[in-house]
Formats: sequence, C-alpha cells, structure tokens
Amino acid sequence: MAERMQLCNISVNNFEQCTKCSICTTVCPVAAVTTDYPGPKQAGPDGERYRLKDPAYYDKMLKLCLNCKRCEVACPSDVHIADIIQRARMSASEGKRASLRDTMLANTDLLGTMANLVAPVANATLGLKPTKLVMDSIMAIDKHRTFPAYSRQKFTTWFKRNAAKEQDAYAHHVSYFHGCYVNYNFPKLGQDLVKLMNAIGYGVHLLDKEQCCGVALIANGLYKQARRQGQTNITSIRKSVNDDHRQVITTSSSCTFNLRDEYPAMLDIDNKDVRDGISLATRFIYNLVDDGKVKLVFKQDYKRRLAYHTACHMQRMGWQLFSIELLRMIPGLDLVELEQNCCGISGTYGFKKENYERSQAIGSILFKDIADAQVEAVTTDCETCKWQIEMSTGLPVENPISVLADALDVEATRQANNIN
Amino acid sequence: MRMDTVIMGGGLSGLTCGIALAKRGQRVTIVASGLSTLQFNCGSMELLGCIDGKAVTSPLEAIATLPQGHPYSKIGTDRIATLAEQAKSLLDDAGVIMEGNAAANHWRITPMGIAKPAWLTLFGHLHIDDLNQLPARRVALMCVRGFFDQPNGMLANGLKELGFEVEKIEFTTDDITALRRSPSEMRASSLSKHLVSNHALLRVADQINSLTGDAELVLMPSVLADEEAVRTLQSMVNKPLRMIATLPPSVPGARIQTLLRHYFRMLGGNYLMGDSAVSGTFDGDLLTAITTAKLGDMPLKADNFVLATGSFISRGLIADYERVYEPVLGLDVDADAEREQWTRFGVLEQQAYMGYGVATDNNLRCLKQGKTISNLHAIGSVLSGHDAIKMGDGTGVSLLTALAAAQDILGNK
Amino acid sequence: MVTEDIYNKEYDVIIVGGGVTGAGTARDCALRGLSVLLVERNDYSTGATGRNHGLMHSGARYAVTDGESARECISENMILRRIARHCVEETDGLFITLPEDDLAYQRTFVEACQSAGIRADIIDPEEARRIEPAVNPDLIGAVRIPDASIDPFRLTIANLLDARMHGAEALNHHEVEGLILNQGRVEGVKLFNKLKGEHVEVRGRVVVNAAGIWGQRIAEMAGCKISMFPARGALLIFGHRVNQMVINRCRKPANADILVPDDTVCVIGTTSDRIPIETVDDMRVTREEVDILLKEGIKLAPSLATTRVIRAYAGVRPLVASDDDPSGRSISRGIVCLDHAKRDGVEGFITITGGKMMTYRLMGEIATNAVCAKLGNTAACVTAAQPLPGSEEGAPSQSDLTKRYSFGQRAAIGRHGSLAARIEKDNDIDNALVCECEGVTVGEIKYAVQQLHVHNLVNLRRRTRVGMGTCQGKLCSCRAASLMGEMSHDVKRAQQDLASFLDERWKGMRPVAWGDTLREAQLTAAIYEGLCGLDMAVNTQGKEDQQ
Repeated sequence: MAERMQLCNISVNNFEQCTKCSICTTVCPVAAVTTDYPGPKQAGPDGERYRLKDPAYYDKMLKLCLNCKRCEVACPSDVHIADIIQRARMSASEGKRASLRDTMLANTDLLGTMANLVAPVANATLGLKPTKLVMDSIMAIDKHRTFPAYSRQKFTTWFKRNAAKEQDAYAHHVSYFHGCYVNYNFPKLGQDLVKLMNAIGYGVHLLDKEQCCGVALIANGLYKQARRQGQTNITSIRKSVNDDHRQVITTSSSCTFNLRDEYPAMLDIDNKDVRDGISLATRFIYNLVDDGKVKLVFKQDYKRRLAYHTACHMQRMGWQLFSIELLRMIPGLDLVELEQNCCGISGTYGFKKENYERSQAIGSILFKDIADAQVEAVTTDCETCKWQIEMSTGLPVENPISVLADALDVEATRQANNIN
Repeated sequence: MRMDTVIMGGGLSGLTCGIALAKRGQRVTIVASGLSTLQFNCGSMELLGCIDGKAVTSPLEAIATLPQGHPYSKIGTDRIATLAEQAKSLLDDAGVIMEGNAAANHWRITPMGIAKPAWLTLFGHLHIDDLNQLPARRVALMCVRGFFDQPNGMLANGLKELGFEVEKIEFTTDDITALRRSPSEMRASSLSKHLVSNHALLRVADQINSLTGDAELVLMPSVLADEEAVRTLQSMVNKPLRMIATLPPSVPGARIQTLLRHYFRMLGGNYLMGDSAVSGTFDGDLLTAITTAKLGDMPLKADNFVLATGSFISRGLIADYERVYEPVLGLDVDADAEREQWTRFGVLEQQAYMGYGVATDNNLRCLKQGKTISNLHAIGSVLSGHDAIKMGDGTGVSLLTALAAAQDILGNK
Repeated sequence: MVTEDIYNKEYDVIIVGGGVTGAGTARDCALRGLSVLLVERNDYSTGATGRNHGLMHSGARYAVTDGESARECISENMILRRIARHCVEETDGLFITLPEDDLAYQRTFVEACQSAGIRADIIDPEEARRIEPAVNPDLIGAVRIPDASIDPFRLTIANLLDARMHGAEALNHHEVEGLILNQGRVEGVKLFNKLKGEHVEVRGRVVVNAAGIWGQRIAEMAGCKISMFPARGALLIFGHRVNQMVINRCRKPANADILVPDDTVCVIGTTSDRIPIETVDDMRVTREEVDILLKEGIKLAPSLATTRVIRAYAGVRPLVASDDDPSGRSISRGIVCLDHAKRDGVEGFITITGGKMMTYRLMGEIATNAVCAKLGNTAACVTAAQPLPGSEEGAPSQSDLTKRYSFGQRAAIGRHGSLAARIEKDNDIDNALVCECEGVTVGEIKYAVQQLHVHNLVNLRRRTRVGMGTCQGKLCSCRAASLMGEMSHDVKRAQQDLASFLDERWKGMRPVAWGDTLREAQLTAAIYEGLCGLDMAVNTQGKEDQQ
C-alpha cells in the first residue's frame, strides 16, 4: 500500500480533483435560465463536502439538475459533477416514494405496453384537449406536451413476424437493444436498422429478455426498480456478448449511455465484462467501414441538407464523431454540425409542468441555431431530443440510422459486400 | 480512424495549430479534455512581458536575449516577428479582433488596476500605449451592484495610481438585480448570458449615460458575451466605453475559445470535447496512434501528432508524491527530481515548477528516453523552459509554438 | 469602545494570551464580576489552540499512562457537550487494534478507561467496519469511546464573546513588551499595538500569564523562571472527510495515531518532537514529518493514501517542568497554576499553563480562583453550567430556512449556532456567497468584521472558514479582501492583506504541493499574479506578522 501513496487523488466520483475553477458553471443550461438552481459547482463538489459531513446539507434545489452532463464534458479535471449531484439526489430520496406522475413518466415500457394494446384510443386520448388538461392539473404533466404517438404494432411483434427467421442466414451477428421508443412508438427505426445491418451482412437478433434501460427511472428517483431492470438487461447482454459472441448495438444514445456508464455509476451494477460489447449502431458500423470490413453504397440521386444535433449524453460518451463521420460518407448529404447546446427536454424532465418553461428556455439557443441553419430536417441520436426539437421547431427529426437507411442503395451495398 | 494530424489538447495552442493545419487542407482531430485555461485569460495575449522582474517594452528585441532552452529560442528568434504577424492574422480570421503589435508592448489594465505589458488586447478592452499619455483624465468606473468578481476598490485605486481621476459608480438594472437572486451564480459569465438583447443593453446604457456626468472615459467589467454586444453598447453610450477583465470565469477568454473552436469546426476539423488521450502506440521513432478515454478501442491514427496538453493545471504534466511526469505518452520531462525543489517558500517567489515541461529538440519534437519522436511536436504550456507567470510569455508561447509546429508538419509532408 | 478608552481603564485582571485558556479565564473572571482585559499578540487561537487536531478527548488516550488527566478530560468532555454545543460534533471515537499491535493492550486500555470513568465498549471488528467504513478493514479489535470533534477557533471566540458580554475587553494584535513592575508587584502590562505601531501601558491589579509556550518569556519579564519544554507536533489536513468518527490506535500513544473529522475536513496527527524554545515561532512542516504522517495515517484509514492533502501545519504543546524536581527535567503532566507571590515573591502575577485544550475551562476556573483569592472576590464559578453564546437552547434550526438555495445560511448555523441569527440574510446581496467551498456569505463576513475582532483576512478565516476549503482561497480571498477594503476604506491595506493571506495559505500548501494541491497553487498564481498582477502592486517585504 505504501508504494501507492498519493499517486493520485481519487475518491468516490473524483470530486477532489476539482480546483474550483468554476468552468462548469459557465456551461450549465439550467443555471443559465433560473436563479433557483445553485449551479453544478455548488450542487456538486462544493455541496458534497458538506453532505459528507451531514446529509442534512442536501438542498432540494438539486432536483432542477437536468443530468445533461455538460458540466462533466467541460470540466478540465474530469470531475464527475453530474454523477455527484445524481448520487446526492439518490441518497436524499431513499425511503421516499416517487409521485404517481413521476412513476408514470418513468415507466416508459409499462405505459408503452398498455398504450400499444389500445394505440388508436391512447393516441387519441393522450392528444385530446380535456385529457391534456387533466394531465396538466392533476398529474402536473405540462399541457403543451404531446406524448409521442404509440405505434399499433410493437417492434418486437413486427420483428418476430417479419424478420426473425431470416437473420440466422447471415455470416455475422449482433443483438439489438431496441429500447422502449423503438418498440412502442417508432418501430420504423428498428426496421431501418435491420435493413441496414442485413445489407452489410449482419443478422440482427433480440436479446433473451430486454427491459427498459431505466434512464427515466433514474431521473425520477425509482432507483430500486431501475437496478432490478438493469440487472435483467445486463444478464441478457452478458449472455449475448460472452456466450453467443454477439455485440449488442442500440439506436439510442441515452440507452447506450445508461447501459454503459450510468449502470455502474448510479446503480452499482457491475458491467465491466460487457461494457465494451455495448455500442451505438453508428459507432459499430463506422468501425466496420473504417476497418475495411464492410462497404456502404449510397443512392446516386440522394440530396438533402440536414443539421446534426449532438445529444447531451452523446457528447458525454464522446461518440458524435462516429455518427457525423458516417453521415458524411453519404455523398448527397449536406450536413451542418450544430454547436453543442442542450435541447432542454432531458428525457422526462421537460414533461413536468414545473419544468416546462425552463425546458423551453434552455432549448431556445439550439432552436435558434436550427432555424439559422436552414435545413429540411434535423438528425440526432436521441429520441427525447427528437420530441423536443420537433415540437419546438416544427422540423422533422430523424435518427442517423434512418437517414443512412434512407440514403442507402441496398442492392448495391449487398453486392459490394458479397451478400446474396 | 485515420487523420492527417491529431492534436492532444484543445486550448489556445491546440486550436491555433489545428486551425493552421486545417486551413491548409489537413484532416485534423483535436482531443480536448474539457475547456482550457483560456477561460481565465484576460482578453490579452502576451509575447514577453517581463525579464528579471522588469517590464519589457520591445518584446522582439528582448526575445533575442532569452536563454537556449526557451521555446522562442528553439523556434529561432529570427522567425518570431513573422510568426507573430501570422498569429495575429489567424486570430483575425477566426473573428478574434485584437489590437497591438509585436514590436512594442502596450499596457493592459488588470482587474486590480495594475498596468501589465501585453502584445495584443481584445477589441473593446482598455489598453494604453504610453502610461505618460493617458487616453483620458476623468474616468467613470461602472461597478455592477452585487457582483463580487471585480475588486472595484482595488481597481479604482490602481487607476488613480496610474494618474486617472476615478469616480466609482455603482449601478444595476432589472436583469442584473434578478440575477443576484442566486447566491452563487452571479458570475461574469452569467452576466454575459443576460446582457445580450438590445433591451438589456439599453438598460445598461441608460444607467451609464445618466450616471457618468462629465467623465471622459467609461470603464466597466468585461461581462459582454461578444463583439456585437460590445459594439452595440458602445453605440448606445455617449462616451468612449472600455471593458476591464474580471476574475474568472473570464468572458473574453471564453469568447476567444469559442471563436477559435467555431472556426476550426468550420474548416472541417473534429473537436472532441470532453475526451482525453490516454496512451500511444510507438513504432521506432514514430508515434503511430493514440487511444482516448471515450473512443476506447478505436485508436486515432495519424501521420503527425501534437501534444498541447498544457501544464499541471491542465494535467498535461502530473506531479505526484514522488515525481513529475508526462502522463499520456511517458515523454521525457525537464523537472527537478526532489519535491522540495519544485517550490519556494514565499508565494510570490519564482516557483521552479512553473518552468517544468516536456523536453524537446530544437524543432519542438518530443523526446522519449532520450530519443526524438520525429512526428510528435509539443506546443504551448506543456513545454519546458518558460514561465507564464513571471515572464508573461504564456499566450505568446502557445500561439507561436503552435504555428511553428504547424509549419514543420506541413513542411514534412 | 474605542481602543484609547480601553487603554485608559484600570482592570482587576489583565490576561496575557488569546488562546483558549486565556479566553476561558477571561470568561470566568468576567462572569465573577471582575473587570477584565485580555491581550493577544497575534490573533486569538494562533498558538497551540489553533494548531492541534480539534479533538475533544474523552480522556481515553491518557487512561493508561495518566489517570488524572484522563479523569479531567472526561469530566470536561461532558461539560463541553452541554455548554459548547455549537463547537462540538458528537462523533464518538474508535480505538482500533491492528494486526501488528498487541491485542492484549486492549484489555489494559479498557480497564484503565473504566477506572477513569470513561465509557469504553469493546466492539466486534465487523461492527467497527459497519459504523465507520473508512477504518482499516484489517483491524482485529476495536473499542468505542466518547471522543468527539471540537472547533477550537469557535470555542475560543465563544468564550471571548461571553467575556465581552459580561464587560470584558479584548485586544488582538497587541504584544506584551514588558510588565509594569513596582516594588516587587506587577501592576500592568506594556503593550505594542501592532496594527498602529503604538506603545502603550495598561494597568491591572493582577496579571495572568496564559501565553502558552510564550509564557516562559512573559514570566521572565517579571523575573520569574519557568522552564518550558516545547513539544512540536505536525498535522495534515485532507480535502474532505473520509471518516465520521475519531479513529485512534489502541496502543501506547505514538506518531500520527489520531484521525479526526473536523467540520468539512479530516486531520491526521501528530508527530512529536522536542524542539529548542528559540524555534517555537518556526512552524514550517518538513518533508520527513509529512512522510511519517501519511505512512501512519493510511494504517488508520487506507483511503488517505489517495485522498488529497490540502495543508500541513504544526503546533507546539506547552509542556512545563515540574516544580517538584529541582533538576527541571521532569515534566508536569497536568495543569500548572503558579502564584508567583508564593513561588517567587512577585505579587499580582499568576501563570496558568500545562494542561490541554480539553481542560481549558478547568484551567480558567483554577486561574480565576487564584485571582479571586488575591482580590477578595468570593463569587462562585458558573462556567460549567452556563452555555456559551451560540450554544443556548433554541438555536435556529435548519428547517427554518427559506425555500431557496440556502447553503450559506445552513453553514453559518453550523459555525455560529444561535448567533447565526445576528447575520443579515434578508436581501440578496447579504446572502451572496463569498467563499463557495465553505458557504460564507457577505452577511457573515460583515458580522465577523463588525463583531468578532477581525482586522485582516487571517482573522476572518479563523472566524468564518473563509479560504479553508480545498481551493484555499482562490476566488473568495479576493472577494473578501474587496469587502474588507470597502468596510475599512483602506483599499491599499486590503490589497497588501490579500497578498499576505495568499502567502499564509501557501505556507501550509507548500509541504504538500503535489497532485491536485500543486494544480490549485498554479491556478491561484495564474489568477493573482498572471491575471491580476497582484505581485506588482504589493510590497513583498516586511509583511505583517501573519502566523
């Protein structure tokens, strides 16, 4: 032990590397729009020293944190500021029950399952003015919000009926963690992924058992449930990666970030052995192309101007490069890289009535940038950014995988990769 | 992933080098572990401010007298004037409009009202060419009510010692008063986010115009986000108006970093913010790839690499209980071995550690176990042999070594 | 009262020394109705009072070797829990046995504790790990005892405040240059006002020498000889708390065997070295001391190996030669109260020394008894029963706080107890944070400057914790200096004071200037020298005494 003395200063969440330089405070989107929030430095490292002395120093204003992690990205000392804040919220909420509203928002899969069964009714009901007003006043879900439409058919249902049996024929294989959004709201993204992967010779498979990754559960304080679901997911992922030798890919930056980074940091789920086996689809495909293992051929007549928005968790992962570089391979695509600003939704945060105005104020810089960019659509790796940007700018928002699938010349790609 | 050049470090030197290379068509990626020390910059660049405690008036002449190991000496003192010109025009191209020239230092005025030698000062900020010829006599010093990151008393006192007649005038506007509700976030950077719209600026201008009486010059803390805001407010105020830097986080410093980053991205560069290089792969005297914390199993390969990771504060150098070392690539460093030698007893004495850095050959190429790594340049604060604090050469070394390395890289190709 | 009026009064008693013993004596004298002046050459609690662990001993540490001290400790410990609640954190402590220690000692230890009246419960190592997760998991034995953590700065000031509320006067930065002697009587003190550079004399019927290690020199001024044995101890402060309980080694007292959680930090110490009396003002910590402290410290709590060290400091314990031993070599363990009339034939002069911070109140009581005997005062001592200001019942509770972010208000209640009510907090500016690490507001600084004898930033730091966080004053020292400059209308002095403060902070950082502490220092230099040019504005020579 003696020989390891003072070679580094690392305690829980590394907060002692903080030199109090205050850089984090300059990038916090919440502190920029409200004086109620004490900013990441106070909420994080400054407050943590006092909370170590006495947990009573916890301040409830910490719940205003978006968990966008921009403070961590800006921090020159690698202090896990947002983790400290989320952890503090977690300890402070121990033993407390989440509200009905938070439980409902957090259980994206439960809500999804119910809604799918009655999709037309659910869509109609959730979209109706009286329903919205009830949600606004009783549930405190802001009336400006529109719940993403629920699909009549779940992705998994479609997959099992239409795609599953062909997948074994391919030479290579991946597992797909589709997430709640693809499953309940937007199966097309999953279908696009299958199309793309099949075109480059990869069979796509579902995990043995997939549950919601829990990102919304964490945000809404339902830690126990998040941990339970997380353990189920990691068990399935472990089987896929370690036993079946199938990498797990996703089409959601938030799911990916949660599975890889928040599980160990927030939920104490050990994922070390499989963390490298979980990837975002764009990163996975980029690597294949970069290594010369697969080729992508795009349509000759494809022509679009899109803006790429780096989702907060995407930036925290540092992977926007893969999506951007992959999109830049499309010859007809004029891609504008937007300056990295938070859209303000942060999962379920913006759905809550008390956060609505703050949420829109935070996003305003991004919305202006998008308007200035004069594009026909926006592309981003995060589904909640999609809702927010669509609602706030009126422009359609697509996942890079859908953009790629749309631009891909499937037949030519299959041929280029020698797939029959 | 293959690039022409990969730059480790996204501060002033890394961005300058990246821009210089991207401008010449190179594919460049910058790996930046967070925002840099530019966030503490005062809005001025210094070429050489001090030698042996004496202010330098003609930096180009003084540079010729620097010792062998100084980065300027390695670049070659005959190249300094040209590189300085190039640096200024590069900043200009990026939208960083600065005033000054390398032949003669001017004086910037610090947050404590002290005149320090500087080479370039950002548009709209107070600087004085000749302390015997002040630009005005009667000065109104605007103090933002409830803003504590400008030591107004010291600033006023310093200005008086320079020969100004100073009147301190406290003011506020609705926007400022609303911001003060936060016990912790009344920072220069927060003010800069709330003093943007014409309405907000007009409210500030109204205060200035109604309170400054017969003052010939109005000074205020540098809390305006960009040049446009500065120009707008200047046009609204009926007297000459200049900014003075505040304590960090610095608004002008952040502006410089943002403009350079925008420009670099516009030139097609990749800027990986919040990532950091963790190790490298060597092949003989060549660095062939680096891995980063975030990209994981996807190494960044390139023909050339640049180390611009900064000094201790930026963790380009690490001092632990036992030694000083370069953490990414294990490069040779110029540093004293024993801990007692790193520092001196008095806080204002010259501290030895300030001069530590990676060892380089005369082309700023790094050494590893005594051997030159021929495609790895070091630039900026990670270099040994200079002292940004006592010599006032930090930003100049960053800019000029960045350009020198870029030239070397482009020449190599 | 203006300083001149303070000089012109004649006092029943003048107390020399603003450590906790002097402050405790001043309080006791004032509560018994005497007119009191306390003088201190630097700041209150600058000497040994402010340079220890901040440990409120249960007495367990002395139980085996010195039963009398142990009994005094536990008795005072229980009193302080009542009268000084806002200075005390009731953490309890562990005495742990490591594999390399003799477990048989535990039995001796527990028996000794019990016979001194100290509760000592042997607990299972597993239980020890549960209640104190930072403890060395290899421990083979643990005893739980009623140790606690105490803030000596707060304790000293609370005693002084109470003395002042009962009519006493106190002057810091006043050095005793000599005593007024008249026909074998001490009749007052000759003072040097270091703030103004003036020499004055103040008269008192009795002078109490409570100057700690510097008491030898005060006694010499009256021609009396006391032999002091300065025992130097170095300590390290870590950036945050790793432990919630005091951790001691269950063995004979040795180097670096106590780790104390103090407010937001924790402190390991001490080394112990006899030093020559001439060197008691040199408090630089050496590399060897740092090495010993770390090496031993990680045996108590392994996580100290990777926890950032923010400061090192050293203090000198005033051990006194026993009057019973003519050779002058043996040390008196307990409290020493010398009536120099009986001992040396000098009337009107009393020395109170020896003892410990823990027993300051008892020392004050003993010294006051001696004073009262001389003055014919028969009032009884009430210091054990009456709470100190700040510790009365009905202190503001955390739940009274406003809905908005109120870190500063919370921290102030922690520091000032019920007196936090005196801090302005009704407008946004008074609520603004000056020191972000420690949550010190503008209002708290105003309160300290106006009511707690603050003349410079070091004074302010001791009253409020400004600059005591991990950054050691990076942004807050400039903000605080500005505020003080505005309040005193002497900006130039505030600027000089700022440089002195940064120098004082650096003195403690330098011995541990590696890792993040070195980074912190570089950033501080970049701000104050690079950005601000403070080095060019101040005179770096002839700084005021800022120890």
